[in-house]
Amino acid sequence: MNADKTEVSLTLNYLRLSAFICGSLLFMVGCTSAVESGHNTALDAVDLQQMTDDMAAKIVADPQVQAAIAKEGRLPVVVQPVENRMVAEVLPRGPAQAFTARVRVLLSKHAPDRFLWVMNRDAFYELRNREVDIDLGPPPERVQPRYALTSIFSSLTKEDPKRRSAYYLCEYQLTDLGSGNLLWTGSYEVKKIAVRQFLD
Amino acid sequence: MTCAACLLFVTVGCTSKAQRAGEEAVQAYFSGDPAKAVQQLKPLAQKTDENFVLNNARLGSAALIQYDLDQAENAFLRAYEVLNSFGVNSGGRSLGAVLVDEKIRVWRGEPFERAMLNFYLGLVYYMRHDYGNARGAFENALFKLRDYADNADRKKDDYSEVESNFALGAIMLGKCWQRLGRDDLARAAFERVTKMRSSLAPLADYDRNQNSNLLLVVDFGYGPKKVTDFDGAISGFAPKPQEEGMIPPPHVTVDGQAVDVAGMNQPPVDLLALAQDKRWQSIDTIRTIKSVIGTGLIYGGAYEGLRHHGDDGTALALIAAGVLLKATSQADVRQWEMLPRTVFLLPLQVPPGRHDVTVDFPNAPGLTQTWRGLDVPPQGEATYYFRMQRWNSGPFDWPPPAVAQLQAQQ
Repeated sequence: MNADKTEVSLTLNYLRLSAFICGSLLFMVGCTSAVESGHNTALDAVDLQQMTDDMAAKIVADPQVQAAIAKEGRLPVVVQPVENRMVAEVLPRGPAQAFTARVRVLLSKHAPDRFLWVMNRDAFYELRNREVDIDLGPPPERVQPRYALTSIFSSLTKEDPKRRSAYYLCEYQLTDLGSGNLLWTGSYEVKKIAVRQFLD
Repeated sequence: MTCAACLLFVTVGCTSKAQRAGEEAVQAYFSGDPAKAVQQLKPLAQKTDENFVLNNARLGSAALIQYDLDQAENAFLRAYEVLNSFGVNSGGRSLGAVLVDEKIRVWRGEPFERAMLNFYLGLVYYMRHDYGNARGAFENALFKLRDYADNADRKKDDYSEVESNFALGAIMLGKCWQRLGRDDLARAAFERVTKMRSSLAPLADYDRNQNSNLLLVVDFGYGPKKVTDFDGAISGFAPKPQEEGMIPPPHVTVDGQAVDVAGMNQPPVDLLALAQDKRWQSIDTIRTIKSVIGTGLIYGGAYEGLRHHGDDGTALALIAAGVLLKATSQADVRQWEMLPRTVFLLPLQVPPGRHDVTVDFPNAPGLTQTWRGLDVPPQGEATYYFRMQRWNSGPFDWPPPAVAQLQAQQ
C-alpha cells in the first residue's frame, strides 16, 4: 500500500517537474522578439548584396561602358535613389539609396580609375549634415556629371488570405545625361512567397 | 497546475508596467496632449515585445497630430514590416497564446486595423509628395482587407466587395496615380470607386482631384472598441454603426468664408461597420472550447462536492482545473484605440498663399479645429491632417514646431 503511495507521489512529482520545465521553456520561447520569427516577401539584405554585387560586376565588364571609359576617361556619374514602382510595397528613403549606393561603393573600391562618383544633391547634403564617417566625394556643384546611375524596382505582388507572393524585377541603368541614350542596363529578378501560419 | 498558474501570474506581471505606460499615453492622446503621448510611447515602441506593433501604431497616430512626419513614418514603418510578415508568432508564442494567455502573441490587429496602418503610412508619404511609396502603402491597405472576403470571392479572386467598404484607400490610390502622371490608372481607380459606391462620385471626380491644391484629411469620431461577453471568452466590436448614429458631414471655412464641400462630405469608410465583419480565427474556437470545458469542470466539481458521498479532493481539483481553463481562455482585447470612426477627404481648390482653415461639424457641437496660415501652393497639392477632438480645437499656427524645426534644418 505504502509502495503504491510512493509510486503515485513520484509520478506526480515528475508530472509537476515536467509541467514546470515545459512551462518555463514555453515562457522563455514565448518572449522572443516580435521581429525575429517572421518572414515576408520584401527585398532584404541578401538581395541587396547579391543584386549590387551582380550589377557592379556587369557594369565594369560591359563592352560599351569600357569603350566610353577608353574614349572619355573616368566617367562622372551621379547616383539616384531607386524609383519605387512595386505593387503594395514601400521602399523608404534609406533602402532606396542603399540599393544604388552600394553599387557606387563597390565600383569606387574595385574600379576607382574608371568612375568619378558624384552624389545626388539631396543625399550628399543629408549625409554631410549627419556627419557620417564615409567619403562623400566632391560636392555635387563642383563636378558636372555626364552619366546617371538609376534604378527602377517593379513587382507583381499578390496577397490572399493564405499567402503573399511577389515577383521582383529590379532594373539598373547607366544613362548618358547629354543624349539620353542608355549606355548600360542590367536587371535582377527574384520571386518570393510567404505563407500564412497559425495566428497570422 | 500550480506551475501553470505561476506562469500566468508571471506573464501578467511582466506586461502590466509597460501596459500601464501605454494606457497612460493613450489617455494623454485623448486628453489633447499628443506631445506627452509621443514621449511616453517612444521607449515602448522600441521594445520588440508582444505590443511592438500596437505601440508603434499608437506612436504614429500621436506623431501625426503633431506633424512629426519622420517620427510617424518610422513608427508606422516598424509596424508595417511586422504586419507584412508571416510566422511572427510561430513556436512558443503560438503555444503560449493557446495554453496560457492570448496576450503573449504579438499583436497584429484586425484586418481593418492593418488596413488603416497602411493608410496612415501612405498618408505620411502623400503629405511629403513621395507618391511612389504612398501608392505602395495604399495598395497594401487594400490587400489587408482581403481577409474579410468570403470563400466565393476568394475562389474567384474578386475582392471588389470588401474593397468597396474601404473606398478611402482606393481614392487615395487614384490621387497617387494622378500625381505620378499615370492618368490611365488614376481614371481607372476613380471609376472603380464610383462603380463601387456611386455616392462617392463627386469625391472621386478626376478633374476635382486634378485641380485640387489643398487636401484636408479629417479624422472624425472614434473607432470600434473590442468588447467581450460575460465571461471574457468571446470578443467582438462595439458600438454598431446604427447604435452610434449617422456620421455628420463636415463644414469647412477658408479665411472665414464657407467652402462648398457638397458631395465631397460623404464618409469614404465607416470603421464601426467594417469591424462588424470580424474574422473568426482558429484561436477563437480554441478559446471558446476551453471556456466551455472550464465551465463544465466547475459545474462538475460543484456537483461532486454537493453529492452525498462525494470526494472533496476530486471536487476541488475539478473546480481548480475549470477556473484555470477559464482564466486562460480570456480574449485578447488589445486594440489601436486612436483610430477614428471615419476619415473625410476634402480636395479643395483655393488661391495660392496662406489661409486660415476651420473644419467643424454643425451636427456635433463643439467639434471644431482651426489652423492659421496654412500654406497652399500654386502647383501641386498640399495635404493637412485634422484630428477632430473635443480638446484639440486650436487655433493652431502653421508651421507646427516639428515642421518649423525641419524647415530650419533645411
